[in-house]
Amino acid sequence: MDYLGQLLANGLVLGAIYALAAVAFTLVYGVVRLVNFAFGELFMLGAFLTASLMLPEVRLIGMVVPMPGFSLPVAAAGAILLTGALGVLVDRIAYRPLRNAPRLAPLITSIAVSVVLQSLAQTVWGAEELRFPEFHLATLPPVVLFDSIYLSVMDLVVMATALAAMLGLSAFIARSSLGRAMRASAEDQMAATLVGIPVNRVVAAAFAIGSGFAALAGLLYAQTYGFAHSSMGFLPGLKALTAAVLGGIGSIPGAALGGLILGLVEALGSGYLPNGTAWKDAISFVLLVGLLYLRPQGLLGKPELNSAGRGSLLGGASEFGAGWLRAAFAKVDGGLARAAAAGPRAALALLAVAILVGLLVPSDYWLRILTMVVIYGMLASGLNVIVGFAGLLDLGFVAFWAVGSYLTSILFVLVLKDQFGVAPADIWWLLYLNLPLAGLLAAGFAVILGTPTLRLRGDYLAIMTLGFGEIVRVVAINWMDLTNGPMGIRGIPAPNLFGIALGSPRAQFFFALALAVLVVFAIARLVRSYVGRAWVAIREDEEAAEAMGVPTARYKLYAYAASGFVGGFVGVFYAHTQQYISPLNFSLFENILLLMLVVLGGLGTFIGPFIGALIWIVFLQLALDLPFVQAYPETRFALLGIVLIVLMVFRPQGLAASARVALTMPGTRPAKAKEAA
Amino acid sequence: MNPIAPIVHPTALTLHPTEPLLQVAGLAVSYGRIRAVDGIDLTVEPGRIVSLVGSNGAGKTTTLMALSGLLPLAAGRIRFAGEDITTLAPELRVARGIAHVPERRRVFAGMSVRENLVLGAYSRGDAVDIASDLERMVALFPRLGERMAQLAGTLSGGEQQMLAIARGLMSRPSLLIMDEPTMGLAPQMIDLILDTVLEIRKQGMTVLLVEQNAVEAMRLSDHVYIMRLGRIVHEDSGANIDPERVKSFYLGADS
Ligand SMILES: Nc1ncnc2c1ncn2[C@@H]1O[C@H](COP(=O)(O)OP(=O)(O)OP(=O)(O)O)[C@@H](O)[C@H]1O
Ligand SMILES: [Mg+2]
Repeated sequence: MDYLGQLLANGLVLGAIYALAAVAFTLVYGVVRLVNFAFGELFMLGAFLTASLMLPEVRLIGMVVPMPGFSLPVAAAGAILLTGALGVLVDRIAYRPLRNAPRLAPLITSIAVSVVLQSLAQTVWGAEELRFPEFHLATLPPVVLFDSIYLSVMDLVVMATALAAMLGLSAFIARSSLGRAMRASAEDQMAATLVGIPVNRVVAAAFAIGSGFAALAGLLYAQTYGFAHSSMGFLPGLKALTAAVLGGIGSIPGAALGGLILGLVEALGSGYLPNGTAWKDAISFVLLVGLLYLRPQGLLGKPELNSAGRGSLLGGASEFGAGWLRAAFAKVDGGLARAAAAGPRAALALLAVAILVGLLVPSDYWLRILTMVVIYGMLASGLNVIVGFAGLLDLGFVAFWAVGSYLTSILFVLVLKDQFGVAPADIWWLLYLNLPLAGLLAAGFAVILGTPTLRLRGDYLAIMTLGFGEIVRVVAINWMDLTNGPMGIRGIPAPNLFGIALGSPRAQFFFALALAVLVVFAIARLVRSYVGRAWVAIREDEEAAEAMGVPTARYKLYAYAASGFVGGFVGVFYAHTQQYISPLNFSLFENILLLMLVVLGGLGTFIGPFIGALIWIVFLQLALDLPFVQAYPETRFALLGIVLIVLMVFRPQGLAASARVALTMPGTRPAKAKEAA
Repeated sequence: MNPIAPIVHPTALTLHPTEPLLQVAGLAVSYGRIRAVDGIDLTVEPGRIVSLVGSNGAGKTTTLMALSGLLPLAAGRIRFAGEDITTLAPELRVARGIAHVPERRRVFAGMSVRENLVLGAYSRGDAVDIASDLERMVALFPRLGERMAQLAGTLSGGEQQMLAIARGLMSRPSLLIMDEPTMGLAPQMIDLILDTVLEIRKQGMTVLLVEQNAVEAMRLSDHVYIMRLGRIVHEDSGANIDPERVKSFYLGADS
């Protein structure tokens, strides 16, 4: 009983922090219907800025910089104002130009902004934890309730602050003129404009307030746990988003409720479940997935929010860009359009080039890099099936990849080698069996995961799949018997054909190339069939597709299955080339990276994923030659993020968009070219 | 009934008597490659009711949205109250005295009637006393007075239209733009709304009205523009327009 009381108290403190951060998500979503993933990073910046302002000096980019050494309240106020201003800046640069863009564009830029902020924070403050300075109230003796529940004075401060901030915000939204303007803009931006509300400024205000709340949550979190770190915003950010969705995104009381529930469930779960602390991160995502399945609008939300995902996810072009930029893209488009018209011949020519490159590149180092390009290109192609062709934003794709990699690694290493002492060379054929087997297993898995998401659209779908991805990762880390946990699995044999080891980088490159031909060929066949036309119909307008009689649920599941199959299939090969896998290889970041590659190259194209992978991986290597990047390798991710934001603003359809597969809607006549073929 | 105090924006009164309140020259608007409005000229004299009629898809709503700044112009200029407002931000046009009551009313459904009205006065700033304006709206539409605390989304269609008009008037405009205020209403309600339009005009308001119902529009208006496929095909004073010709414009040249 005493233990329960303490757990509840801890849960309340954590819940108060989650609730504050959830307010940020809810407020901005309410006004502009945007899930701003970057709030996790603004949370982190709030913590860093506060800690820095409290210290006498800090090391920034390796230089010691004198700091004012404020007390916590002053530093916190400064950090909140700075973060609020940064939030406005982010809105201005990365989101406002995209107000009328396809819905996927601001989601991608918000992920890109997170990546940029996180890697910049790591560059500025370093990869180590920054200890959070102690505030004098923290040294007071704890308050003891019922003789058994210990709450530090700072815990009480955290709860009181959260409560005051949320009540204050609610009153502000309900009573003030700006609050009323926010509600009006949230309901109907056009009508709000017509009564004279400067909607852009109201949105900027929502970003400022939201970012301030994120910063407040972050600094309280850092204060409670005693440190700030560049990746500290990631999980709490996801939890806060979960809390916001749980309560009903767009509703401030909902955010408070969701945050409290999440905090309490996590505290109780880590206290009472066997090995609870390890599983506590999964608990919140299980809660999220379950709730989205049963009541997508959340506890206090309105049902129509889920339908905000209406319309094409990726149609439309940018209204921005100078003349020369347009001219350059027009050239690219012309070339790609001609290549696309050449169809199979262009593909064969490309394959011939790839083979020549494989034969002629002398360095093993570059061959390994090119192999990674092909692997990432294949994985991105798998993701492209679901995002680019069916228009379903899937942030859990890495799970399928993980299924493939783990299946083959567990069979080869943990079962056959460790349990039965079989030498991998004797069972070389198992790899070839595992490829389709893992594909099928992942496809089945994808269908199981896809089924509960069928009713969800747009952002909610992204959040639910993200929840699945995280659950799989937490399982991979904690199910020690199955996966060897965080240590990962070592000694996965290199691919082998009839007893000949294909260990050389050149052999592996050709192996990857052969698989890529298979993958692209299979995807192309599928996409060009009636299945692909149904996907495109769903992507362009799900309701219209449904009205036309396309059984959307079935085709969405096909898309999950196809994408899962590719993920599992490629995952097998990935494990054998890496020869070592661990849960780190399958983080949400990898999923985001793959998504960025697809977007960079062009969603809904066959070549786009490979173009994206080529640009990114070659860029990674070239950047390593720059001295600044050698000192701060994480800046590469910031650069990728910036490239992506610029791309989204000026060319949201991706580089190779004109190679997008033109498909007719089901029910209309198939294209002439196809009949002739 | 109490004499109703003027609800007219001061700019209307300071105008030079011979200058039109609204003057549109060569206005063109495109949606991507589709040109929805293709170079139209309009003039609205102060104190008049001017209507814009035409069949579905003629470009009437598009024209009005361009006037209030919701859509960018492909070509043309807009002068309002002696000032070029072609590139002015929409919220500033409201402050200058243009109120636009949009197609399908678009009241803030989740807010009370009172809040909708208060929002209507947003462009006038926080400091103004809006209580007297609220009273005036209740005098104009007594049914709104009984429903001040009700959520706007739960009003009937006719009541929502009243609210939309009252919300527009709360900004104290000199030009009231109305897009199909009678759409989907019962005949009695249509009469009530149109009588109100006349009543508002009597108090000195200038009105630019879009109507599907050309006959009603002609009866009401001082001047009528007929639009077809993005162009003005005919204009005349309301009394002079021959209903048969209007019909032929509606049905198109091919009939
Ligand atoms: N957002 C849009 N995107 C593309 N085309 C549009 C858009 N809005 C309107 N159009 C097109 O512009 C033309 C004019 O439309 P508009 O709404 O101005 O007509 P209208 O005269 O108001 O018709 P109605 O009497 O039916 O309201 C139509 O052909 C319409 O299809
Ligand atoms: Mg219209």
